[in-house]
Amino acid sequence: MKIRDVLIEDTFAEAFTMRAARVVITARNDKWAREAALKFTGFATSVIACKCEAAIERMLPPEETPDARPGASILIFSTDTDGLGKRLIERIGQTVLTCPTANCFDGLPDSPVRAAAGRALRVFGDKFQISKVVGGQRYWRVPVMEGECLLQESFGIEKQGIGGGNFLILAEDADSALGAAEAAVAAIDGMPGVILPFPGGIVRSGSKIGSRGYTSLIASTNDAYCPTLRLTTASALPEGVNSVLELVLDGLSADAIGQAMRIGIDAACRSGVRAITAGNYGGNLGPHHFHLRTIMAGDGAA
Amino acid sequence: MSAVVALELRAPVDGVVETDGVNPDRLAALGEREIAALPAWAGTRQGALGDFFKVRGERSARVAILGSVANVNGLGAGMAGGELIIDGDAGDRVGAGMTGGLVDVRGNVQHDAGAAMGGGVLRVSGNAGDRLGAATPGASRGMSGGEIVVSGSAGSEAAARTRRGLVVVVGDAGSFAARAMIAGTLVVLGRTGAEPGRSSKRGTIIAVGGIDVPVTYWHACTFQPPHVRLTMTYLRRRYGLPIDDLVAGGIYKRHCGDAGDRGRGEILEWAGR
Repeated sequence: MKIRDVLIEDTFAEAFTMRAARVVITARNDKWAREAALKFTGFATSVIACKCEAAIERMLPPEETPDARPGASILIFSTDTDGLGKRLIERIGQTVLTCPTANCFDGLPDSPVRAAAGRALRVFGDKFQISKVVGGQRYWRVPVMEGECLLQESFGIEKQGIGGGNFLILAEDADSALGAAEAAVAAIDGMPGVILPFPGGIVRSGSKIGSRGYTSLIASTNDAYCPTLRLTTASALPEGVNSVLELVLDGLSADAIGQAMRIGIDAACRSGVRAITAGNYGGNLGPHHFHLRTIMAGDGAA
Repeated sequence: MSAVVALELRAPVDGVVETDGVNPDRLAALGEREIAALPAWAGTRQGALGDFFKVRGERSARVAILGSVANVNGLGAGMAGGELIIDGDAGDRVGAGMTGGLVDVRGNVQHDAGAAMGGGVLRVSGNAGDRLGAATPGASRGMSGGEIVVSGSAGSEAAARTRRGLVVVVGDAGSFAARAMIAGTLVVLGRTGAEPGRSSKRGTIIAVGGIDVPVTYWHACTFQPPHVRLTMTYLRRRYGLPIDDLVAGGIYKRHCGDAGDRGRGEILEWAGR
């Protein structure tokens, strides 16, 4: 299969089931909503070292937020419910509670599995905190030096979230690779239920499991896709490929990831790109397989 | 099973009619005859609901009472679910003790509406009498959950002894609003009457249209309370209340009290933008 002369390799992305939460941060204006959201999602690129993966899903207009202020919708993923609850406590506590004018709300209110992050953080109020129930949801008013911070008591956990959807852009040079990756990120940006947790949505240091030289490493450079190692390792790079960038996608459903991959790959198929491929582990580790050609034919995830 | 159970007074009632069990979750399990046989009292005389009301329909959790029933008491009291629409005025204790469902009164209600309510929604398009959402006589606690929204004004002691829940009065509230409030929230978009929040332990009065703050409350600060914005936004979206942005996102004076009783209650007095 080719799209605009770019080969779509006959392979699949292998992804994993993860726990996910959607956090809605609101603030006085876009600037402060984004500020809190950027801090919240900082150092959250990979569960391998960050314990979670998070990014801004999209910015929200006032009519879409609980308190009618500008907001940011964030998706955060982790490997287990308990761990995700801890990450929520840490990140809300350090980046929303501290941020001027920011409040924090649950973005998955229908989820029966809950992480009581707001309830845990209420104790910062040192028994001066006040609870309020509005529309059947409990919130905590935590007194702070600015005035009050409002935190929702609990956050819904989606147990069927998916982490690790991906595709790799094999390009003739670094400029072409970056341009195609940026185009893919722009196309995916704002799609509901999916995030790209890496810097600018792009990964340059794709990894393989384990290490050939250091036994203690759980991941090391994906040497098969490193152009500088073409002659010194079992390279997977076609002739003429000199730079590779990857997009990693986490989503609330296979559908969300499949749609985002389709739109992103389509945007990445442009001049200077030789092929699109995907990362997998032979299909034995992750239960979710996103076959590139199936997706690009419009049939979503396998 | 019908789409709705409709009750209509056979004739205007002299005196007061007390009902027991006219609520949707109970009527949902009853046939037309069984509904007509439910007990009702006119003064000391016990009769049946069918003596006063024409009953049409059966086994539906949607109940409509057609016409004004201003001297029929206890409608929707204790209901746990379903929908009760009263297409006119209603008597005392509408929705008292209800724990779920919706009571929608398209008129005025008398006293003790939503008293000791534990959940659900009570909407009143007109005015409410005294002790809206308050405690039943002799009880230490009033409303413990749910929401009451009155589009008109309310009498005295609205939200008195409230333990939890949200009471909203779009018009004015009478004297002793939120008296001995334990927790919960009373929103008054009109003027709040004399002696508000007396002996309140905790809880919040949000006073938009003017209030005389008792001397037993002290001024803490002026600020923009985030939960007021959340509450006002919710009320606009959920109930279509005409709440201005200046009110939702405005500045409020925080008064803490009542000094005579723990002092953890608050009056949030709207101070404009």
